[in-house]
Amino acid sequence: MPREKRTTKTVAKRIDLNYFKRPSPWRRWRFALSVALPCLAVAWLAAYGVARNSHAYSTGKMSPAHAVLTRQCGSCHISQAGFFRAAATDHACLSCHDGPIHHADQVFTPSCASCHVEHRGRMRLAATADQSCTQCHADLRAKGAATSYVTHVRAFTSDGHPEFAPLRAGFRDPGTIKLNHAIHLKAGLLGPNGTRVQMACDDCHRANAADQSWRFGAAPTSQSQPASSPMAASAPAGQIMPVSAPRMFPPSYSPARAYMQPISYARHCIGCHPLLFDKRFTDSVPHDTPEVIHTFLVKRYTDYIATHPAELREAKSTIALPAKPVPISPRIYTPQGWVNTRVAEAENLLWRKTCKECHALSSVPPPPPVPAAPMMMPAALPKVAKSNIPVRWFPDAEFDHQAHRAWTCTTCHPRATTSQATADILVPGEKTCEQCHHAGADAAEARCFECHAYHDWSREKPVKGTAHFSSWMQIARRPTS
Amino acid sequence: MRIDSTHKKWLIASLIIFVVATAVYVPYAAESPYGPSGASGIGLTFGIAGFAFMIFAGLLGARKRFPVWRVGRAQAWMRGHLWLGVLSLPLIFFHSGFRFGGPLTAALMVLLIVVVVSGVFGAVLQHYLPTVMTEQVPLETIFEQIDRVRGQLLEEADQTVARVTALVAPLVTAIPTRVAMATEEVAVITEADIAPLGTFYDREMRPFAEKPDARGYALADAARARAMFEGLRTLVPPAVHESVKDLEDICEEERELRRQVRLHHWLHDWLLFHIPLSFALLLLGAVHAVMALRY
Repeated sequence: MPREKRTTKTVAKRIDLNYFKRPSPWRRWRFALSVALPCLAVAWLAAYGVARNSHAYSTGKMSPAHAVLTRQCGSCHISQAGFFRAAATDHACLSCHDGPIHHADQVFTPSCASCHVEHRGRMRLAATADQSCTQCHADLRAKGAATSYVTHVRAFTSDGHPEFAPLRAGFRDPGTIKLNHAIHLKAGLLGPNGTRVQMACDDCHRANAADQSWRFGAAPTSQSQPASSPMAASAPAGQIMPVSAPRMFPPSYSPARAYMQPISYARHCIGCHPLLFDKRFTDSVPHDTPEVIHTFLVKRYTDYIATHPAELREAKSTIALPAKPVPISPRIYTPQGWVNTRVAEAENLLWRKTCKECHALSSVPPPPPVPAAPMMMPAALPKVAKSNIPVRWFPDAEFDHQAHRAWTCTTCHPRATTSQATADILVPGEKTCEQCHHAGADAAEARCFECHAYHDWSREKPVKGTAHFSSWMQIARRPTS
Repeated sequence: MRIDSTHKKWLIASLIIFVVATAVYVPYAAESPYGPSGASGIGLTFGIAGFAFMIFAGLLGARKRFPVWRVGRAQAWMRGHLWLGVLSLPLIFFHSGFRFGGPLTAALMVLLIVVVVSGVFGAVLQHYLPTVMTEQVPLETIFEQIDRVRGQLLEEADQTVARVTALVAPLVTAIPTRVAMATEEVAVITEADIAPLGTFYDREMRPFAEKPDARGYALADAARARAMFEGLRTLVPPAVHESVKDLEDICEEERELRRQVRLHHWLHDWLLFHIPLSFALLLLGAVHAVMALRY
């Protein structure tokens, strides 16, 4: 008998009509996996819970600065008793960091986390977005009187950022030292010991960290410029800050590497501009106040005449100065008279020529009649104006020469080689910086934080820590799932 | 389920939602100082919408389990499951700002991607394979009954061979006999005549039918099987050809069953990933929603 022909009916007859009452392997697998996987997920979270580790609920990796707190969620996420919510608050931040205010007259203080966004992986917390700054500075308002700052700053662009303050109309270089950059950079300049030299920018301008000898300077001696000297580089309080001024530096920032050393006679000028005062001597007067110089001269000449009494008899004037009285030849001095005469001559040379070459001297006294008695202090000495050479031209911004060392000086200071007037302000303008610092992936950082610090770190208060390292490490060593 | 013109409304609605969400996300992401965040108002809205779509997609299982619920046709639920489930992926990406975040959120993102990708993969398979099944397995049976049907086929094959053997049973003496039929004289069938059939059955066909998971059998290939059966027919008397045809049909049916098993696995095995991972995703998603409120 041949096999029954296959039809749908014959095929259907083969089926056990109660097949659906029995579980199929496929359904069993589906059910088992549907139970097992959620259970596995719960077990995974439970493992974190047993370890008292809430890291599983983190929204992302911590910044390098806070990476040690990765498993210490409670360090920042502090919950209050009876409340479920445990958001990170300013209070938690301030328990480890002081966050000095920006300005006393600011009208708005953002929360820490609104600018320093955590859980975004390996990023600098200080690298805040421009919007954090422009939320106020785009239309700046201040408590009380109108602010002295530019009130509309949107971004570091020509139309979004004002020109730097020293280059704005009305700004005057506060420095009083007479310097002609063009002459100093000329070839074949007469240098120390009559040699011909070609000066370069770094003969006078070097970053603070540079610990090299200066080409036209002197080794530090007792004659080194005292800090109290009005001729020392210093700045008027307030507007232009000296390097050491403790203002607005974030903790990570080292001005010692960032700024040029202050210009100093002993380091930069003495090689070519010795303060000689008499052919009898090879040394210079100290680069100090007129009072100190006067005392030095009196002592120097007193000592000299004590060992050279023959010079009390003077045949003729050896110094051809226009204001020098015609000597009666031969003339015999008393020691005191000789000293007074020589001091008067030397001071006349210094006040009217040597010092005046660079310094602004006020009320230079006329050549005094030679007093009979030695003068420990003359009636009138000139006043030397403070040099006021700015060390930091941008007191509200930071700059790092070290970071820009790849560039030649004239890339940013092109007028330095041709400037003849002391009043020329040679700092680069906004457009110069913008050539590199602008938006885009192929540009240097151009956000506000690159130059400006929000917190006034001069107001930073010490914080007393409360965490215990040992307890942290015990928790950190626990294995996680 | 075939993705046909009945999906048009769902497709258009999904596209509109996606375009609107993208139009909201792009400027929001561009203007966010620190990038988009799930905690922001817009980010939270994306998260809620995405999770709501996930829950809706997950409710399809409940809808199937309780078919008497008057909450819309199962077909409509299936379409919603498909399109809103797919839509949940971009919405959750918008919610997270395309970041995977910490351990839990990273696990959620991976789960969501696997669930959606496996779902799309399954939808594509379920769009094309039923047609292939109809063409290649005309006598498709219930998957769970395949082993039972296969047993019946093997039994039928054994019976067919037994019937042929029965024809020569009286001839065991090996004396050629002429079997007189009703009207005509038929060829004499000896044991030697049917020996090739027995050998073929024992060595090729029975192992092939007995071991459905085994590979390498010539009978698994239709063309080779046809050639083998053609050769067998030349070796056995014509009286046995009918039985050979029956055996050939059984082999063909066995091949169809194998094809059905293979297609069935393609059609349904992805659900072994899709469904359990969906449960895990919904569970962890709920935990994430609660813990996000805390932190």
